Amino acid sequence: MKLKTAAFGIFAALLVIALSGRLPAAEKTVLLKNGQVITVSGETIAGGDILVSGTKIVKVGKGLAAPAGAEVIDLAGRWAMPGIIDAHSHIGLEGDVNEMGALLTPEVDCRDVINPKDINIFYALTGGVTSIHTMHGSANPIGGKGIALKMRWGKSAAELVFEGAPLTSKWALGENPKRSNMSGMGPARYPRTRMGVEESIRDEFEKAKDYLKEWAEYEKKARAARYSKGKITPPLPPKKDYHLEGVADILSGKLWVRCHAYQSEEMLSIMRLCREYGVKLVCFEHGLEGYRITNELVQYGVAIATFEDFWGYKWEAYNTMPQAASLCAKRGVLVAIASDDAERMRHLFNDAAKSVRFGGATEAEALRMLTINPAKILGVDSRVGTIEPGKDADLAVFNRHPLDPFAVCEITMVDGAVYFDRAKYLEERKKTKDEAKKKVPEKKDGGEV
Amino acid sequence: MPHRTRFRLFLIIFISLFLVNPSLRAGQDLHWVWAVKDARIITLAGPPIEKGTLVIRDGLIEAVGAAVPIPADAEVIDGAKLTIYPGLMDGLGQSLLKLPEEKLDMTRISSGEFTDKDRGVTPGLNAFDYVNLGKAAFEKYHKLGFTAGHVMPDRGVFTGRSALFCFSDPDKNKALLLKDVCLGIGFSPSNFMAYPSSLMGVNAYLKQALTDAVYFDRAMSRWLKEMKGLQRPEYSPNFEALAGYAAAAKPVIFLCRNQNDVRRSLSLAAEYKLDYFIADLGGEAFEVLPELKNAKARVLCTVGFKPPGSSLYAQQGKAEREKAEKDVYPKNPSRLADAGIPFAFSSLGTDDPKAFAEGIQKAIEAGLPKEKALEALTKTPAVFFGLNRALGTIEPGKIANVVLAEGELLAKEMKVRYVFADGNRFELKEAKPGEGEKPTVNVTGKWEMTLEGGMGMKLVVDFVQEEAALSGKMTTPFGVFEFTGGTVSGNSISFEMNVSVGGQDLDLFFSGTVEGERMTGSAVQGGAGTAEFTARRIPG
Repeated sequence: MKLKTAAFGIFAALLVIALSGRLPAAEKTVLLKNGQVITVSGETIAGGDILVSGTKIVKVGKGLAAPAGAEVIDLAGRWAMPGIIDAHSHIGLEGDVNEMGALLTPEVDCRDVINPKDINIFYALTGGVTSIHTMHGSANPIGGKGIALKMRWGKSAAELVFEGAPLTSKWALGENPKRSNMSGMGPARYPRTRMGVEESIRDEFEKAKDYLKEWAEYEKKARAARYSKGKITPPLPPKKDYHLEGVADILSGKLWVRCHAYQSEEMLSIMRLCREYGVKLVCFEHGLEGYRITNELVQYGVAIATFEDFWGYKWEAYNTMPQAASLCAKRGVLVAIASDDAERMRHLFNDAAKSVRFGGATEAEALRMLTINPAKILGVDSRVGTIEPGKDADLAVFNRHPLDPFAVCEITMVDGAVYFDRAKYLEERKKTKDEAKKKVPEKKDGGEV
Repeated sequence: MPHRTRFRLFLIIFISLFLVNPSLRAGQDLHWVWAVKDARIITLAGPPIEKGTLVIRDGLIEAVGAAVPIPADAEVIDGAKLTIYPGLMDGLGQSLLKLPEEKLDMTRISSGEFTDKDRGVTPGLNAFDYVNLGKAAFEKYHKLGFTAGHVMPDRGVFTGRSALFCFSDPDKNKALLLKDVCLGIGFSPSNFMAYPSSLMGVNAYLKQALTDAVYFDRAMSRWLKEMKGLQRPEYSPNFEALAGYAAAAKPVIFLCRNQNDVRRSLSLAAEYKLDYFIADLGGEAFEVLPELKNAKARVLCTVGFKPPGSSLYAQQGKAEREKAEKDVYPKNPSRLADAGIPFAFSSLGTDDPKAFAEGIQKAIEAGLPKEKALEALTKTPAVFFGLNRALGTIEPGKIANVVLAEGELLAKEMKVRYVFADGNRFELKEAKPGEGEKPTVNVTGKWEMTLEGGMGMKLVVDFVQEEAALSGKMTTPFGVFEFTGGTVSGNSISFEMNVSVGGQDLDLFFSGTVEGERMTGSAVQGGAGTAEFTARRIPG
């Protein structure tokens, strides 16, 4: 509960920031002037400007003139990059992120439990994060539905949802769904092996196919009854089953699959399963052994959302190294550096820097791992991930190059609106503290009158 | 021994006399006609009558007005110093319920054989079957002006069905107004590994169950009609209990712990076309006013005013939380009133009728006009539950549920002298100062407490007792939590503690009895049930 103590007493300041986010961004013009603009899509522009109109970036270049009435933010040589996208997160959700009560739970949906007041949304902004993919945990071979959110702090649950982003289905392989590390928590649950985990998914596919068949047959009979002029009794429809409809949505590709996995063998075998059923498997979550199967990952077009240097916390997470993300990237795998954690989320740019320092990735590659790569994984790369005209004005401004160990995020903008401004925030916080100090003697005076 | 048995028998008969007929105790059993004269009468059906007479006959209001003659057979009460109000109604509560205590069978739980009850699925649970009416319960309500209440089990997902009672007779058959009125829907996941074990699981479960219940109903009635050529649906008592509510023939009550639950409820209600009430137990309706207004929602409003764990206030720590409890949440009822959203008050979220009444006073202090408060305790709940022809105002023909008070009702200094419930008169005696027994023990000091159950959690409680007042702090594996406002009466102690763990908010009610250096009792947690505890004083 460190977060709570850290946040103690800064409440009013937060509210001010929250409210500033509420200001309508529509058609407001902002010129961010004279910065080092890391476009990600092309070269970094020294002394570059970004012109934002409403929620969109309209121009990127040098020496842009501020249109009449435009707000000008002087970057004064600071670094502007596309807002960071965290491909693997569990924040902003109310209650447990794992539905432990059943093995397969495609019917549960993170959209039902978005908590727009989760303070971690604000903390994400302080680390330059503007979009996340928040999802079900990894207790079940097929878990619940996940969703991309924009960090529109202060907005309602519905307004946080990244409009147009595909819904996802969270899967998990290995120790978590096998319950390898959960002794004494109830009876043994099928499956207890990696083979069983895969089989439990395959079984569900077959059930969903039967379910779809049942509905098709019903439609046929119902049609016949309609045309029989009362001779055939209309059949009773099958029972609507949200669980199997969730699985059917996986089979149809409506849900993009995000699969928690560590080991190369099980990644290979689940890719075979997905290929067999035509499932849209988008990304392995963590995928620490992905560097061993880069050819297959590239061939099947599966990305990894991984940690830079976090491993060894359980048996299946041993066989990796700080070079893994860079190795994968070099071999053409789509790699995102993700957090899986509300704290790590605030310094993902440090993690990306490590892939340069220890893994030998280029700076450009490392920056892609924070921006356009996760945007592709989330299916929102036409909207975010680079600084280009036409894209959403989701930006993070740093005091130094974001891969510099001393980099601090100073301004975070979502949809053209500043949701976090460190200088203003610190000022407000100080003011609140000073006011709180003043209040005590005031009370005494009041009492005597 | 035979002597003692006889004595006990006497005692039982004696007590049961009390219980069965309170009016017998007052010696007024035969009087079914009453006239209160020269009283100020707030009828709520028109302007106040400054000096009028109210006649009650056979449980109903016979006449009311400035120039109503006093019937010859009436017993007359001089109302010169009294104001008469319609009896107040608790829009939703559960303190009158005594649900069967069930010891958790940990062997069964750990073997994963879960019952519907473990899952919180008890749509068949009926408030009528478990209501516990009686003199003591009535008196607590009567002295605050309450003469009727709506009672519903409030734990789990499908929590059970409600009933409305007049606080008039310990015989529930006589006191009952309406049965099976509403079905409770809660968002609390099961405490075990039983599905649904998460909030998102609860949502998914609710959708499926509402769909299934309607399907069951349709399939069953179709089979009963046609039989030939149709497969017979499998019977399910749960679906049968749910069917009427899922098909919107009867209203459900969403038990909302915070504003997110309110939004979830509105969207479930819209998607499944439910007839519904929002029980705003988190007191955060003020955050959802436009949505509530749009949906034409009816609200049952708590006066507990505790910021829920999901709120930004609670996430900021104790100081912000307490500030919000004082400054923000008490404004909730007045915000509802300003927005023109119909609401009745609910005692859920407050510990007892006294705290309920104090909460209503707080709401008034925070800006709720008194007449709105009164409406939320009389007319509005009567309309909500289809009882407006019988209750809510003082009019001839309505049930004789009225309050006779010195001073203004809902004011701090008010004194209820009499209430009539179903025309039964109850006289309220002045409360002696320092209610409850004098403490016979002093628990000040450190105690080691063991909570029974799965893990047998060990806690250290540091009590501070000053006469009957109890406060202290509890050291748990999750942190140290403080509590105040507890009481000691005789050798019993009770206190309430709020625990905030990982953004989750738990209210725990501890009660126990002290024998020497040992203490035994139970801890009740709203959605979770009861855990027994034993405690031992740590010497020194």
